[in-house]
Amino acid sequence: MKAAVVGCGAVGARVARQLLALSTVDQVVLTDSAVERAETVARALGDSATVVAGDAHEVPLVDVLVLATPAHAQLQWARNAVRRGVSVVSLTDAIEDVQLLLGLSDEARAAGVSIVVGAGFCPGLSCVLARFAAERFDFVDEIHVAKFGTGGPACARQHHRALSGAALDWREQAWVRRRGGSGRELLWFPEPVAARDCYRAALADALLLVPSFSDATRITSRMSATRRDRMTARFPMLRPPHPEGRSGAVRVELRGRREGMQEVSVVGVSERTAVGAAAVAATAAAWTIAGRLLPGAAGLAAMVDPRAFLADLMDRGIRIFSFDGRPRREV
Amino acid sequence: MPRPVLTIVRRALTALGLAGLVAAALRIRGTGGVPPQSGGWRELTKADIES
Repeated sequence: MKAAVVGCGAVGARVARQLLALSTVDQVVLTDSAVERAETVARALGDSATVVAGDAHEVPLVDVLVLATPAHAQLQWARNAVRRGVSVVSLTDAIEDVQLLLGLSDEARAAGVSIVVGAGFCPGLSCVLARFAAERFDFVDEIHVAKFGTGGPACARQHHRALSGAALDWREQAWVRRRGGSGRELLWFPEPVAARDCYRAALADALLLVPSFSDATRITSRMSATRRDRMTARFPMLRPPHPEGRSGAVRVELRGRREGMQEVSVVGVSERTAVGAAAVAATAAAWTIAGRLLPGAAGLAAMVDPRAFLADLMDRGIRIFSFDGRPRREV
Repeated sequence: MPRPVLTIVRRALTALGLAGLVAAALRIRGTGGVPPQSGGWRELTKADIES
């Protein structure tokens, strides 16, 4: 089988490496707006990786196309892939991108291909964790997602933009826009990240979770930031982002009812963001190649069996945590 | 120095002294509560995920 990766940054390069580690993938085609970067990654990966110029958004004939580009550069790639009958795995975390890609669902269904939207760390892993944690509830009232850290430079820039954008929360069966950088909450992530201040931001998690949890009264997402991040969110970044990203974490808290009792469940992952995002995207691509996803465009929450997906991620070295010790409260 | 000013200064010093004594007592005797003795992040095994 052949796969293509568009965008060879911190995440894209790792996705390509993980795809080649699959027994089902024997060739990876790399594309990047900076051809030298794609060639450097191809050299590191060996003879199984080839480079093609991607200026014209021309989709090579492959079994799956992974989009690891910066935000706002994925729609044309996805549209061309669907027309060519190629399934897509997108790592975007921008609200506008997610909305546009979800809008290709009918087209994808008609073409018999799948578009996995937001198949990264957060959204992506956050959606699978929410589905997994929801299985212990009879009814889910609230889902609150939080993330810490960024992948490569493109991810860090999007993180910076998100803090000054409008957050999109699901509240009482309606979308509510709230100011980014508001709603400070101290949240505990798995070690070594631990406690961090988190704020509302323009994150796409709620958009991808609502189709699977439309009865929930509240679905929100927050991201970790410092006071300086908040102060400078509306200005250009003061210093260049870290080329490889650093430690990251995602935390999903569900509140709901089980056997007449009010319960809270918190699950999370602590991993370098680029590594976690690449593992999720590569697993989603592997599932696409294996024909385990239905045609159409959706997030991972609506597309995969969460237990099997998380088990595959654990095989890739992702450690999953559960926060225990909360008492049950009668309702 | 006029008498009312002296009174204010004396009262302020007395208040500060008393606050210091209370703070010292709390610092020495206070326990600050009991930290959680159970719970926390637990790594899930594959059996936890699949069951």
